[in-house]
Amino acid sequence: MRTYIARRIFQGLLVLWLVSLLIFSLVRILPGDAVIMQLDQAAAPTPEVLQIARQELGLDRPFLAQYRTWMAGAVQGDLGRSLITRRPVTQELLRRINLTTHLAVLSVIIALLIALPVGVLSAVRQDTTSDYLGRLFAILGLSLPDFWLATVAITFLAIWFQWLPPIGFAPLWQDPARCLSQLLIPALIIGARLAAVSMRMTRSSLLEVLRQDYIRTARAKGARERAVIVRHALKNAFIPVVTVIGGQFSVLLGGTVIVEVIFLQPGVGSLMLDAVLLRDYTLIQGAVLFFAAVIVVTNLLVDLSYAWLDPRIRYR
Amino acid sequence: MKTALLPLITLASMLALSTSAALAQDKPGEAPFAYAAPAFIKELDTRFPAQPPVPPSPPRYGGVLHFPAVIRAFDPTVGYRPELALVWDTLTEWEATWYYPEVQRTPVIRKTLVTDWQMQNPSTWIFRLRQGVRFHNRPPVNGREMVAEDVKYSYELLKNKAQYSTRAALVKSITVLDKYAVRFDLTMPDPKFHLNIVDSLSPVIVPREAVEAPGGLAENPIGTGAFMLKEFSPGDGALLVKNPNYHLKDKDGRPLPYVDAVRLYFTKDAATETALFRSKQVDVMRVSTLDQIYALMKTAPDLTLYRVPSFGWGDYGMSMALDKAPFSDVRVRQALSMAINRDIVAEVINKGDAALYGPFPWALAGFTKRADYSYANLGPNYQYNPKEAKRLLAAAGYPNGFDVELEWAEFQGWTYGEFVQLAARFYQDIGVRVKLKQLETSTWLSKMTGVQPFNQMLATFSPIGAGPSFMDWVYLRYHGSFPRTINREPIQDPKLDDLLTSWRTDPGDKRPQLQRAIWDHLRQNVFRITTIVPPHYRVSQSYVHAGGNPYCWFPGYCSYEAKTAWLTDKAPSRKFDKFAQ
Repeated sequence: MRTYIARRIFQGLLVLWLVSLLIFSLVRILPGDAVIMQLDQAAAPTPEVLQIARQELGLDRPFLAQYRTWMAGAVQGDLGRSLITRRPVTQELLRRINLTTHLAVLSVIIALLIALPVGVLSAVRQDTTSDYLGRLFAILGLSLPDFWLATVAITFLAIWFQWLPPIGFAPLWQDPARCLSQLLIPALIIGARLAAVSMRMTRSSLLEVLRQDYIRTARAKGARERAVIVRHALKNAFIPVVTVIGGQFSVLLGGTVIVEVIFLQPGVGSLMLDAVLLRDYTLIQGAVLFFAAVIVVTNLLVDLSYAWLDPRIRYR
Repeated sequence: MKTALLPLITLASMLALSTSAALAQDKPGEAPFAYAAPAFIKELDTRFPAQPPVPPSPPRYGGVLHFPAVIRAFDPTVGYRPELALVWDTLTEWEATWYYPEVQRTPVIRKTLVTDWQMQNPSTWIFRLRQGVRFHNRPPVNGREMVAEDVKYSYELLKNKAQYSTRAALVKSITVLDKYAVRFDLTMPDPKFHLNIVDSLSPVIVPREAVEAPGGLAENPIGTGAFMLKEFSPGDGALLVKNPNYHLKDKDGRPLPYVDAVRLYFTKDAATETALFRSKQVDVMRVSTLDQIYALMKTAPDLTLYRVPSFGWGDYGMSMALDKAPFSDVRVRQALSMAINRDIVAEVINKGDAALYGPFPWALAGFTKRADYSYANLGPNYQYNPKEAKRLLAAAGYPNGFDVELEWAEFQGWTYGEFVQLAARFYQDIGVRVKLKQLETSTWLSKMTGVQPFNQMLATFSPIGAGPSFMDWVYLRYHGSFPRTINREPIQDPKLDDLLTSWRTDPGDKRPQLQRAIWDHLRQNVFRITTIVPPHYRVSQSYVHAGGNPYCWFPGYCSYEAKTAWLTDKAPSRKFDKFAQ
């Protein structure tokens, strides 16, 4: 087990180094730079003035020199300063991650609250009306795009109730009522989609497990149906569901740009979008590296959880 | 089979229901908007005259004004945004916005930080500062008086920054004459230099202590402005509170500003802004199109609209690579211009609510009445005439037309997608085969700003200026001595350069005639294809009075508007202890 974890950590570090090199190169291939993107439409600077601005940002230095400086800081936890706001990247990221984590956790909770009961119900009552309704929900959740749902939601809320979720993030521990009123509707929209995916996975996985020999044995021993499902089937059926939720959670932590922009909830997604549009190299690099690390760690945790869910699984 | 169809039928019913609900704001049987537009425009003309009524007096103090903005860094040394003028003053600012034709010829300048100026010669100007102006009472500046050294320091700090260089680069040096007087020595003579230090892209006055303190102005946002930055939340918004010691008074001697605070929301989506306005979370906002006004008026019928003719900002046009064939031939340029039916462009882009636009703002050529904005004053090159266009192409050696690549991009507030398709359709009629090439917005911006050359044609707005400055709008943009970052195409025309140089060195007497001569030269040579410019729209809630100045079209673009805006007792009660409230 220890060897396995050590090997995975080493592989993770290698991935992070490759990601850093890749993102550092890719952002510099994009046309334009932070100096151009910050210009007002009426501004008309000479090439000399633009060059001075690039020097101030260190963009005139050779590629490898820039990379060395950035990496030297990154390994010490300093991801540099944003080229646009001039604030530390870590500070910018942490502020946005706070909101995004709230949104992601709330979305996952909503998704699980919907997906698990509906998925289980669909599986145990296969081909009944409740199964059809559950599957219909899944199809709807998958086919209705986030941006459409979000736009319809804010339009209706504004027209019918003259109300919109408040703007300006307040963490749950500071102002729970405000936090929930701010994030509940965006989380419902994101959660509905995630619930659809998880519900389908729960249903199909549970159906497969319910056909296994040990389930038949449990039933033959006289175990009650609820016990068979909850105690024997569900835990094993969770492995693919956990994989999906784990993957989706990582994606949610990376931001849900459209919902964030529409609901004016500035999380990591809109931060990244702005950073790319404004060619804020240090912010893009820092954010990508950070999320690569999150994904590496999440995947490791998901893999480790398999052993807890299914004791037959061994790591070598 | 029956059971398999059930989900599909249910899904279809739900989608139909939701779609009909989404369209519920359109009453059944109502004509599609495209056909209702002329009547709607007429209604707007009657209900909302271009020059809005003067707000009642006395104003009511208090309240928190909310409006959308886009600010990435609340630091004037990093980037320029008009809204920064809420915190940092420029030496002077526009009294009446220059968007109104009636005032465009005689721009009135408010002496924000100066009391008067004197031109010793066109290259030397002396500005006398207002006494008793204090910076915000916050450490490390602690409310000390603004003096001449601050002006010198600020200009030297900002004049080589990309965002201010258009204006401030003219300044060679600044000398402090005494505590309240500075002398500007210019790099070249400018008899109208005082117009170049008015707000918008002119350096703001910042205190050295705040710039040099840890974190700089971003963490020590201290100026002399009417508001003090209380909280800046990147991506979210900002909260600014009233500066209790602000030095400017209204025309009746009352202290400014009237509102206790301003809350800015950094929105990125038109639907979100509309929803915020409908739910009264935003009090004033810009609107891009007539369609949006139409939709808003249905659900917020008591709104107030300022519909201001644009001076020139926001036009639809195309730049051509003038150093390449076939665009180096004036006949080709004339043909491409007269192939476009500008009435249809106005119809497609903004349902007909737009004005014709020529080589540069009408007012700068002496056309000060809106009735002057006509084809007659633009001349034959701007009138739809495909037959003549074909003849010109044949005369230029292109009887069968030619292939051309037209680059464009999506850009917030513009509908270039429709514009380029329309242009391609018009050009097809004269045999010019257009290949549309969509660019990523940042690439397009690079090409638009001249940092990267465009291939053949680029759909974009005309290079713009700030204020009614002929220097910004015309001289810099058309003179052959300037690089592509200023003169995009690039335009190289010795005769035009002579005219512009004559204008530049003229003390002022002959300038109007020279400006008209330059207009005539440009409309004849069609160095850029310009078409139409939609008006600016600003909507405000019924409980907002846009201050004592009825001319300014948007608080963010004219800080005086936010200083003088006031809210009636019908305004929502809002706290301003922190941004998220």
